[in-house]
Parts: sequence; structure tokens; C-alpha cells
Amino acid sequence: MSRILIEMKGICKEFPGVKAVQDGLFSLEEGEIHSLIGENGAGKSTLMKVLYGMYVPEEGSIAVKGETYPSLTPKQAIGLGIGMVHQEFMLVREMTVLENIILGFEPRRGGRIDRRAALEKIEYYADTYGLRVHPDKKVEEISVGEAQRVEIIKTLYRGAEILVLDEPTAVLTPQEAEQLFCILRSMKEGGKSIVFISHKLQEVLAISDRITVMRGGKHIATVAGSSTSAPELARLMVGREVFLGGSPVPAAKGDVALSVENIFVPGEKELSKLRGVSFSVRKGEILGIAGVNGNGQSELAEAIAGLRQVQRGRVVLGGAEVQNMPPRRIREHGLSHIPEDRNQRGLDRFSDVKENLAACSVSEPPLSSLGVIRWGKVREFAEGLIRSYDIRPAGADIEASGLSGGNAQKVVVAREVSRKAEVLLASQPTRGVDIGSIETIRNELNRAKEAGAAVVLISSDLEEILSLSDRIAVMFEGRITGEVDSSEADEEKLGLLMTGGGTHV
Amino acid sequence: MYKTSWGSTLMTIILSLALGAGAILLLGYDPIEAYYQLFRGAFVGKFNIGGVMERFVPLMLTALAFAVSAKVAVFNVGVEGELYLGAIAAAWAGYAFTGLHPLVHIPLCFAVAMVASGAWGAIPGALKAYWKVNEVCVTILMNYVAIYFTSYLVGNPFSARASIPRTPTIEESARLLRILRPSRANIGLFVALGVLVLVWWMLYHTNWGYKLRHVGQNPFFSEYVGIPPKKVMIWGMILSGAIGGLAGAIEVMGIHGHFLDNFSPGIAFDGMLASLIAKNDIRMVPVLSLFLAVLKTGALGMERFTGVPKTLIDTIIAVFILLAAMEGLFAYSRRRSARSSGEEAA
Ligand SMILES: Nc1ncnc2c1ncn2[C@@H]1O[C@H](COP(=O)(O)OP(=O)(O)OP(=O)(O)O)[C@@H](O)[C@H]1O
Ligand SMILES: [Mg+2]
Repeated sequence: MSRILIEMKGICKEFPGVKAVQDGLFSLEEGEIHSLIGENGAGKSTLMKVLYGMYVPEEGSIAVKGETYPSLTPKQAIGLGIGMVHQEFMLVREMTVLENIILGFEPRRGGRIDRRAALEKIEYYADTYGLRVHPDKKVEEISVGEAQRVEIIKTLYRGAEILVLDEPTAVLTPQEAEQLFCILRSMKEGGKSIVFISHKLQEVLAISDRITVMRGGKHIATVAGSSTSAPELARLMVGREVFLGGSPVPAAKGDVALSVENIFVPGEKELSKLRGVSFSVRKGEILGIAGVNGNGQSELAEAIAGLRQVQRGRVVLGGAEVQNMPPRRIREHGLSHIPEDRNQRGLDRFSDVKENLAACSVSEPPLSSLGVIRWGKVREFAEGLIRSYDIRPAGADIEASGLSGGNAQKVVVAREVSRKAEVLLASQPTRGVDIGSIETIRNELNRAKEAGAAVVLISSDLEEILSLSDRIAVMFEGRITGEVDSSEADEEKLGLLMTGGGTHV
Repeated sequence: MYKTSWGSTLMTIILSLALGAGAILLLGYDPIEAYYQLFRGAFVGKFNIGGVMERFVPLMLTALAFAVSAKVAVFNVGVEGELYLGAIAAAWAGYAFTGLHPLVHIPLCFAVAMVASGAWGAIPGALKAYWKVNEVCVTILMNYVAIYFTSYLVGNPFSARASIPRTPTIEESARLLRILRPSRANIGLFVALGVLVLVWWMLYHTNWGYKLRHVGQNPFFSEYVGIPPKKVMIWGMILSGAIGGLAGAIEVMGIHGHFLDNFSPGIAFDGMLASLIAKNDIRMVPVLSLFLAVLKTGALGMERFTGVPKTLIDTIIAVFILLAAMEGLFAYSRRRSARSSGEEAA
């Protein structure tokens, strides 16, 4: 057996009212890829932040290369060769890639920053591990996938031997994720040890030497990657059998509730990101919109919701033309919207959970009367949703920024689905969410459909699209390149449409 | 985001007074005697208590005005201008209308003042909301416009033709009843406290306040849930301006009895400081405004009886602001020391 690099024992870390990690246990061997999995809020990020010195645990010990510490500081951790790529990237958007990488660790010559030396070092990592980046571009100009490579180089640059990657694939397209795995494997071959946090069991199984499962802040099991299976891992994580996949449930279809007719919409950089998109959705039906991220799905959702200008074309909702109406009016015409960006759009992170849950209904009775908010009712309303959507920790007064990723998403889903609107527009509703919650959220979408809502599901996860949608439209470069019935769809056919094949444009 | 706590504010107050004591000692005076006189000068006798109240009212209202604009994410440096406009509008309504009952005349003067300064506040709000013009520059410049405009008015159309540039004296029916004579404190105090409670209640218990708070915290979220962020930002600025104007109106109707050119020595800037130290927390605004008012009033007594220059108080206030701004730093170093003590234990 190879040398044990890290041994964390009996770690306890509490936040006000939450035991984030209890008796946490984790070990890392030299040259292994060790996955850490668990539901949202299981304490994965917290445990790793303890290792990286960002949190001081109340109890426990951390042994690194044989030396035992009660806690570390980030500086010590970096000194010991530990590097972490966080769930939320920590890059300065206005600075270039190069500046971000060397920030705080600038190579100097004669009191000045030695750009040449920095570039050489970056190139070395780029070549060795296949980490392609553009050193002179500003971070705001690069893709998420590249931003992640920048984060990885940044940690390597600081001399990391041990890399902690917190949900690196949540924001990546399947292609980018595949690239990342190549990088991880070559780093492993280069002698680095890697901690990999993810919710996607297939990925975890494909890449891990060992897998540690956490639940409710506790260590549940550590298993060898070769001797386990997805169902077993799911059971360990959730504590019960989980059923994902399956095929769309049948429901009675009604009239057309939403139709989008030949719309043109500008993007951030292009004049027309969407060029003549049309589709319609009936009540009691889920229309899946598949496609590689960045082909106009975000713009489509924002245009329908009134958050982005429509240049040309019509959006008809509940019989009325709603394009370019303010979002409030569009909501009044019967739209609920789960936005893709939950941190900025979907939640007010500085407000508590009840204010977030009530945001769309607070100005109506019974939550308010004559313009005065009835906080008692708001609390009741919020606690009801917290219970039925199993939001954890179950507190109406917790600030939204203290929620783990998946629970934050459940707040958004709860608010939007509980409106029982005629049309539910769901953008990447399960991104970064654990399988237990994925199951909950998918069930909610099906339930909304059965209750007669028209659902538009935008997702880059093909498996999700296939298991929920009655019809599937595929987007490529701002157009819909094909529409197929779910009974005729398979990954191959969709894959072809997603890359622009199969059409005559 | 920071939240203030009573404990840390109290600590900051004590610490800044202690540093002030050190300075007094260095100047060769007795700090205990100086503070004793300071607090006597603020709290003993109707005149002194009234003096504190006199200062407290405009300070608190302008602090509140600043805090309200901060709730919609506007850094409103223009409260001073709003104070001037409100003051002159109230003075005009106070002398131009005659023969009214006080219960009609006083609210009328308040209303005229609040409309004038509210409309003034809407301008930077709209510029920021619709054209992303930096509100700090706009409001600083608009202060000059407002103050010179009132100078013009008292010199010409509104002039009392007296030896000093001022408006005619307002009607008796527009005057606010004095309390705590012989000081100039007046029932404007109760108006101000009422407005404070009302604004707090509106912010935290009405739909309107809900919108206001969320627009300031996250305009993207607000837009998405159906709150129009631009309109709400302008309404927040109108409210802020109106409160600033009310402060001016109370100065005229309760204290001076007329509008006097350049009457404010930067009251609204002190108010802004009070609000900044309170981290724009409405509940802390009156506490810190009172603290500043006490220091400023007591300073006179301190100087008279001990010879400690009253400008020293401004130093203490400056130290106080620095400390309040450093609070985050204290919290940080506490975390650090918790960590290093953990290491020593190992
Ligand atoms: N800074 C914080 N303040 C308060 N509570 C926190 C904080 N960070 C985490 N928590 C709480 O601690 C628990 C564990 O959170 P953690 O972020 O470690 O979960 P996670 O396993 O990484 O989940 P996810 O998969 O959603 O990222 C959660 O209940 C969370 O609400
Ligand atoms: Mg996490």
C-alpha cells in the first residue's frame, strides 16, 4: 500500500444551529483519486474546507504526511502542498488569467514581477497535464471550463501535491467533463493525489480508486471504486433505495399554453443569439430542450421570462402576447420560472429562507393584506414548503447564503412549483443537486405536468431530458435543429442534432 | 453582509471614549473631569437636555434619509441639499399662507417641504436607475446647486429685506411648539421619532418595504420575481429626499422661525456618518445619532469648565468612526487568534 498523505479523524464542525460535520473521517493515499460523495448539505465542502484551513474544527485532528495538527490555516495548508478548487470559483473577473494564477505568489526579479518566469511555469503545467488556457485573456472572457483549468493551474502553481476539487463537473458540459477527467488521470500519473467531490455517480465510478460516502455530516463508508456500483452508492448516500431514470409518465394533454413564434434575441456578445426559434407546449406535457450549453438555451429562457429583450417574433402565453413585457406581467399571465443561475437570479442570498420562499406571493393574500405583510402567515407558508420539499436545515430564518447548493436549489423549486402556474419554465433544475434531491425535483416536475401545467425543461443532461420529456427539441447555434417524440429519441439521435448534424441549414 | 450588534457598538463607544481620554491626558488635562463636564453639559438641566434634542432631531432624520437610500443601494450624499430645499420650502409655506389653523398649516408646511426635496431626490435616483450615472458625483454636485439656489431665493424673491439674507418670519400657526424651555427643542422631536418608527415599519412590514429592501440587496433577483428595480430605486430616493426635507422643515419651523442663508453647518454629513457607523441599520440610527448629539452638545460645557478644546470631540468622533469601520478587522483577528491558540495547544 502506498503512503498515507492525509488522515482526518473525529472532525466536528458546527455552524449556528447546524452540525455540518460530526466525527468526520477521511484519508488520502499518495497517487490516488479519492471521491467524496453525499447529499446536498452532507458536509463535503465543509470537511474539505477544514482540511484547507478555511474552517477551524471544534474537535478532531488532521494528520498531513505524518504530522498531526488540530487545525490548519490556509497558508499552512498551501505550505503542506494542499490545493483546493472551490465549488464557487474564486477568480478576479477583471484580471487576466496570468494575473489570477500568480496572485499572491508573484515571481519577482529585482522588485518587479517576472512575467516570463510565470509564463514558463504555466506553460509547463499546460503541456504536462493538458491544461490549455489563454494567459492574457481576462477571466470574464473565458468559458467556465477554462476558468476551471485556471483554478487548477493556480493550485499547481502554488506547489500543490494534493488537489481538492469541489464539484468541478457541476458547471461543465459533458465534453468538458471528459477533458477534465483526462487531466485528472494524467495528474494522477504525475504523482498527484486528488480528492474529487461530485454528485454524478457514473463519473465517480469511472475515475475513483476509493470512494467515501457522507450523510448528515457523518462518515458512512469508504469503498473501493472497483467493487461498488451506482445503486449501492446511491443507497449509502440517501439511506434508502433511489429510483432515477425511467421514462416519461403519460398524462392527458390539453390546449397549447405557451407558444414561441420565430423569435430573435440578442446575446451578450452577438447581435442575434437566437435566430428564429419556434415551438409550442401543451398543458400536461413536458417539452425537453436539449443541447450543448451556450447554444442559446439561457437566452431563450430569459427571453420567455421577460428578462431579455426580444427583437422579433412573438411569445404567446395563456392567449396573450407577452414578449417584452415586464417580468411581473408575464408571471401574472401564468409563468413560473426556475432560473439557471440560482445564486444571482433565483435567490436573494442575503435574505432568509422565508423571504426567498415567499418572494412571489408575499404581495397577495393571505400572506399580506392591504399592503401589510403578515409575518405569521409567511412563516407558516415557508415552513409548509420547507417540510414538503425537505429543505435542510429546516429553518425559515436561516440566511439563504448558508444553505448548501442543493438545498438552495430546492428553495427555488419550491417557490416556483408551488405557484401552480400554467407554464413552468425550468432551466437546468437539477444542476449541482444530489440524487435524492434530483429525484424530488424530477417528481415535482412530473407532478406539475400531471396537474395540467405545460412544462419547458431546459437541460444539458441528456439522461434527464430523456427520462422526463414527452417531446424533445434540440438547440444548436441559436436554432432548433430538430424536434423528436420521446418514443423515437435516443442519445445517438439527439447527439447528432446537438452538433448540428441532421439538418440542412 | 454586516449586521450590527448592540454589544459591539457599545464596545466601540467605550473604546473611542477611552482613546479620547488618552488624548485629553496628553494635552495635560484631567480626562475624568473633562468627561464629567461633558456629560453634565449634555444631561444636567433642561437647557442642556434640550440642546441635545435640538441637535439630535436633524441628525437622526438625515441619518435615516441616508439609510433609506442605502436600502435601495444608492449612496446618497445629497441629503444636505435636500435639507436646504426642504427648509426653504417649509419657510415659504410658513409665511406665504396666513390665517390657517396650526393643525392645517403645520402639515401643509411639512408636505410642501417633503414634495420639494423628494422630487429633488428623484433626479439622482432616476439618473442612476435608467442611465447608470454614478450617484455620488451627481448628489455632491446637486448639493451645490440646491444650496446656491436657496441663497438666490433668500436674496431675491423670498427675501425678508432684513440686514441678513433670510426669509420673512413664518406665521405663528406654522411654528412647532417648544418643549424644555429655555432650550429650542420642540415637538419636532416627536415628529422625527414617529417618522423613524413609521419608516422602519414600512420597510419591514409592508410589501412596499419588501420591494425596497430586495432591490437594494439583489436587483437581479428582484427583477426576476417581478419587482421593477428601476422604479423602486427611484421611490427609495424620493422617500430619502422627503425625509431629508422634513429635517430641514423642522429646523425652520421649530428652531429658527425663518430660513437663514447657509444655516446648516453640514448637519446631513454628520447624519451620513451616523448612518454609516450604524451600517445603515434603521434600529441603530437613533442610538448613534443620539451619541453624536450628546458629544457635540456636551463639548461646549466641557470647554467652558475645563478648557479642553471642544474640537477634541471631533477627534473622538473621528476615532469612533475609524473604530466602527475596523469592526470587521476585529472579528477577523479574533478568528485568527482562535486559530493560533488552537495550534499552541497541540
Ligand atoms: N458558512 C456557513 N454558515 C452556516 N451554515 C453553513 C455554512 N456552510 C455550510 N453550512 C451548513 O453546513 C451543512 C453542510 O454544508 P456543506 O456546504 O458542507 O454541504 P455539501 O455536502 O458541500 O453540499 P452540496 O453538495 O450542496 O455542496 C449544510 O447544512 C449547510 O447549510
Ligand atoms: Mg458543497
